Amino acid sequence: MFQQTLALIVIVFFLARLFWQKQKKQIAIAEFIFWLFFWLISAGAIISLKWLDKIVANLGFSASGINILLYLSVTVLFYLIFRLRLKLSKIERDITKLVRHIALKK
Amino acid sequence: MKIICIIPAYNEAENIVAVINSVKPLVDEVIVIDDCSNDDTFLLAKQQGIIALKHIINLGQGAALKTGTKYAIRENADIIIHFDADGQFLASDIKTVIEPLINNQADIVFGSRFINKQDNIAMPVMKRCVLMPLARLINKLFFNINLTDPQSGFRAMTKLAAKKIDWQQDRMAHCSEILCQVVKHNLRIKEVPIKIIYNNFGQRFSGGVKILVDLFLAKLIS
Repeated sequence: MFQQTLALIVIVFFLARLFWQKQKKQIAIAEFIFWLFFWLISAGAIISLKWLDKIVANLGFSASGINILLYLSVTVLFYLIFRLRLKLSKIERDITKLVRHIALKK
Repeated sequence: MKIICIIPAYNEAENIVAVINSVKPLVDEVIVIDDCSNDDTFLLAKQQGIIALKHIINLGQGAALKTGTKYAIRENADIIIHFDADGQFLASDIKTVIEPLINNQADIVFGSRFINKQDNIAMPVMKRCVLMPLARLINKLFFNINLTDPQSGFRAMTKLAAKKIDWQQDRMAHCSEILCQVVKHNLRIKEVPIKIIYNNFGQRFSGGVKILVDLFLAKLIS
């Protein structure tokens, strides 16, 4: 119960930061919506841990709900890192195009 | 036939003048691309009366070669040569490298350090006996490329070949990517023997690993 409360407090803090960043226009609307849904779903998962335990047990997993959440989180993290790397590569290619354009213009 | 030599350079103030002066008599035009050097490479190159281009940030040899190649295509080059700025290649090998292009025997020619055994005895044993065979095997397995020296930076191509080969890799993975593009476009390849003067020993094993990672990521993006 204490751990759930702590996790929810952390999520509320992140949500508050998210709204603050939106207000300061530091974050695009698409990014805002993505993270809003992400944190709301996370909060929902934390609140319904007991229900999640039942589902996981019915599916035949020996791990508890929180462990499954952890495994899923790590998978999502890897995927996000992968997407970041792709984005970085694209940015590098665009920078190359710009630098080349400047060099050839001179 | 207009022959243009592209020399990508990064911090080669020590060698660039000698390299330019050795190449200049053998080609119609020399283009040096300074990849944002911290020394006087760009200034020295400009003083030799050749075309000198400059990247405002360091991008890598692959990017510099592409900038130079694009410029050469714009200048209506018939033959485009890629030549290193560190003085390891011999200008006298230019004639050997471009001959198959002039005789219409190939669309792209690669200089190889391994056709004549005596040309590579100065290469460190680890590189000659382990790293280079490994590079050849990886190029054969993953890219279906069967060259004796797949990482050679001394190459020449026709303008048509240069227009078809569109490499995206900025750093050292461009060598493998150029080869992939050559195979993809069914260009006629020829390898000729060249000599190398070893004053440093090029890429390390970690560089090879980085090349593989870069090529893998590029494949995922495309």
